[in-house]
Amino acid sequence: MDTLIDLGGGFASALEPLSLAFALLGVLLGTVVGVLPGIGPISAIAILIPVSFGMEPVHGLILLCGIYYGSMYGGSITATLIKTPGEVASAVTAIEGYEMARRGRGKAALATAAIGSFLAGTLAIIGLTFLSPVLVKLANVFGSTEYFLLMATALLLASTMSSGSRAKALISIFIGLAVGLVGLDFQTGLPRQTFGMSLLSDGIDFTIFAMALFAIPEAIRNLALGRGAKDVIQSFGDDKWMTKQDWQRSAMPWARGSVLGFIIGILPGVGPSLASFMSYIMEKRISKRKSEFGHGAIEGVAGPEAANNAGVGGAMIPLFSLGIPGSATTALLLFVFTMYGLQPGPLIFRDESGLIWTIIASMYIGNVALIILNLPLVGVFVKLLKMPKEILFSSILVLVAIGAYAIEFSLFGLMLLGIFGVIGYLMDKGGIPLAPSILALVLVPLLEDNFRRMLQISGGSFMPLLTRPVSLSIIVLMVLGIVGPIIFRWWVRRRQLLADVSVA
Amino acid sequence: MRTLTPALRGDVITGIAVTLVGAVYYIATFWIQGTKNIVTPATFPAIVGIALIVLGVFLLGQALYRSRKLAEVVPAGAASAGRASARGGAGADASEEVVEVEPDGVVLDAPEGPKSKQVVLQFALFFIYLGILIPVGFLLSTAAFLMTMTSIYAPHRWVRNLIFSVLFSVVIYIAFVYGLAVYLPVGILG
Repeated sequence: MDTLIDLGGGFASALEPLSLAFALLGVLLGTVVGVLPGIGPISAIAILIPVSFGMEPVHGLILLCGIYYGSMYGGSITATLIKTPGEVASAVTAIEGYEMARRGRGKAALATAAIGSFLAGTLAIIGLTFLSPVLVKLANVFGSTEYFLLMATALLLASTMSSGSRAKALISIFIGLAVGLVGLDFQTGLPRQTFGMSLLSDGIDFTIFAMALFAIPEAIRNLALGRGAKDVIQSFGDDKWMTKQDWQRSAMPWARGSVLGFIIGILPGVGPSLASFMSYIMEKRISKRKSEFGHGAIEGVAGPEAANNAGVGGAMIPLFSLGIPGSATTALLLFVFTMYGLQPGPLIFRDESGLIWTIIASMYIGNVALIILNLPLVGVFVKLLKMPKEILFSSILVLVAIGAYAIEFSLFGLMLLGIFGVIGYLMDKGGIPLAPSILALVLVPLLEDNFRRMLQISGGSFMPLLTRPVSLSIIVLMVLGIVGPIIFRWWVRRRQLLADVSVA
Repeated sequence: MRTLTPALRGDVITGIAVTLVGAVYYIATFWIQGTKNIVTPATFPAIVGIALIVLGVFLLGQALYRSRKLAEVVPAGAASAGRASARGGAGADASEEVVEVEPDGVVLDAPEGPKSKQVVLQFALFFIYLGILIPVGFLLSTAAFLMTMTSIYAPHRWVRNLIFSVLFSVVIYIAFVYGLAVYLPVGILG
């Protein structure tokens, strides 16, 4: 009951004109940026973080959550019409959705994606509403041992469950940790890894790192490619949005995708991208029309898109109640919280309960706004696909430069941006995924702090990891989380299901 | 390197680079002042440095090992056929856990890579922009940067490029300075 009262209070303030306006603006802005080819949710949030600098915390957070939702949907428009997924999560949409569009069924593909996203997103937020308070109670028995373990699990899962080489994902995580440790040690105040540069003692700003990694390599790559093959933009066709048969074929994939995505989303370190892949594989597996997959099966759009959005809601649960982000994107949101001096976790529900419930309520509103705005406006968004690349990507370079300037107000900050842009480009070229390092960079202070406290309390012994019941159960889950995917991969490979969905 | 496919050659280079970064990072921890705590400020950075070294060496070893495997399956000189065989060979090899991510059997095309010369040029221009942003000021440097970037890409559309460069700079300047109270450098115009 308390939860409903809290949520009601949240709605009361989320429906205030200004909050409502920011939720709508966020969704709209997110969709616009997400539609731009090559820009996924992570880049969208990273580029737009500077916009929220001067805002009230609650408005800034509402805006960025809206941007997150909007950019996810925007990404699926791009995937469907020009087969350029902005991020891994919409990679499967780029297969089935694009094939549907090629067959003149683009409208149906976009509609099933939008409706599925709405349903799954809303279900996941309902889950968030009622599960978070439970998890908060549970978190009260967590000590530094458990927090350390949870964060280590998040990082480990982020590497085992990413869709590429595991060693490279681990390298990405350790690069993130390495960057995060630069600067003054917060316990002793001693400088670390500054290479004698006093400018580095403040550490490397998270936003600069995120912008550098997620905007610069993509922009430079596209600009350097020069005029080449033009993207073929599929029209949506003139047929109806969705036929009765489309509804029937979409309903179950939406439901299955929602549940699957939500569960995967809750796992620390596992973002929605895995959810959409698994949903695709599952739909293909149980479908009676297996031959249609790869040639525009609507189930292959409905399921993954639902899973994707349910995963977003699921990923918010560990973020809000434990302060542990489940993916790179939620890591960005965690950073925005801390930027406003807020620390998500059990305490925020006690100390800032008005704020957190307003944000949760605004997510319901954002989801409704998404479906009201986006289906009718899709024609407008599609025009953005025609934006010339040189204009798009050179503007992005200017925007990240402004962002870096607004953080440091110095040449040093700008140069850091450029240098990390080069590092990001080289990582990308070497096949090292960029997202895990963002997660690691956000987690490193908490990870190290809890690691130290754990060992200080135990006098240097690692035994509490095994003797504390809660921590022991986390270890068991962690082992399952690592062994599970290996078995899953083996099973998938044996059936050769993944052969046609792995992403280069 | 007998039959190094481009992907494996990339892994060799990446492995070496990561190992070197890890080594430099680890050596840098020697300069961190020691304390009497159980976990000193240097503990975590040292772990990170060592982990990078281990992972880099692992990647290097894995790539070399795979290339040897490949050499056994594929007769020398038939590296072009190596892609398909790599997949078959990996299927038989139980220790290869991550091979399915090699870009075989992929529906989505891997994005084609740009020429390195172009990439270096683009980065150089970007660094020049970052360097002049504060002394020259936002408006002038941004307009010049955008004009340069768009004109390299589409020289024949210079009128559009010019209009875009000037308009974008002015609109962004007004939006940030008057809308968001983020004061951008005025430089020589100030």
